[in-house]
Amino acid sequence: MKNARTAAWLAVPARWYLGLLFVSACLHKIADPQSFALDIATYDILPLVLVNLAAIVLPWIELTAGAMLLAGWRVRAASVLIAGMMAVFLGALVIALAHGLDMSCGCFASQGAEEDPISRLTILRDLWWLGLALFVLAFDRRLAGIDHRLRGRSA
Amino acid sequence: MAVTATVAALIFNAARSDGLPLIARTPYQILAPCPEPGGPVQPLPADSPELIGERTFLVDARPADEFDSRHLPEAVHLPYDWLDPVPDLRLQELAEAIAASGATKVVVYGDGSRPDSGEHLGREISGRGIKNVFFIEGGAPALFGSEAP
Repeated sequence: MKNARTAAWLAVPARWYLGLLFVSACLHKIADPQSFALDIATYDILPLVLVNLAAIVLPWIELTAGAMLLAGWRVRAASVLIAGMMAVFLGALVIALAHGLDMSCGCFASQGAEEDPISRLTILRDLWWLGLALFVLAFDRRLAGIDHRLRGRSA
Repeated sequence: MAVTATVAALIFNAARSDGLPLIARTPYQILAPCPEPGGPVQPLPADSPELIGERTFLVDARPADEFDSRHLPEAVHLPYDWLDPVPDLRLQELAEAIAASGATKVVVYGDGSRPDSGEHLGREISGRGIKNVFFIEGGAPALFGSEAP
């Protein structure tokens, strides 16, 4: 019981961290979709017809999910979305590494492969974020944020 | 939520002047060209009087058989191989020899082809911090005439 409560409280900073992470990660992609489209194309996974669409839409989904986590609104839905995106990113990273691509991950501000190359460390980092999203999904109890206030009103 | 984000993304993209087309028509150029190695070099005509001078350090970039057949007096031989970069140690030795010679100018000549081995070796030497590096326009054929090896 006590452990569950501790986990619920730990889920609050975890979702703030994830929310901040996703909001900050999407800003450069929204500002410079051409660079992000090139990053996506470099993975060589999506067919050409989907590259631009993904470059346009994905950052806005990141922004929405990140903002929802920060605001504490529909946290479970947002964490499902973020966990899903992390799973997709991880799959793309593994495929790119398996193909021996020497490239930047494109996760944050577009950088060259020399500055931010993908590696096993990138996979470990993304696994950590995926685990964090699943932790929020499992243990968030609406202890802070909009959901908390809405629940207080309805009670 | 995802649908709302998608609609917002499409509207924002349509509204901006530098928005992406929804479907890319041409493949992205994902293979960036390698950066040009080395430093700056300047062309020098084969009949330039500056070619002959006590303070000019001459380097011949051609293969050994062509160098043995004919070369400018005092020219140092450092063959440039397109498939095998000049070893760092050789370049370092050459840079030290140039510095020790008191030369104020380095002139490299190669096969005169396009691309020219002399120009490229010159770039590598220049990249070692040696200033005033020149290459002979047209390379050895321009220097020695059509009978150049």
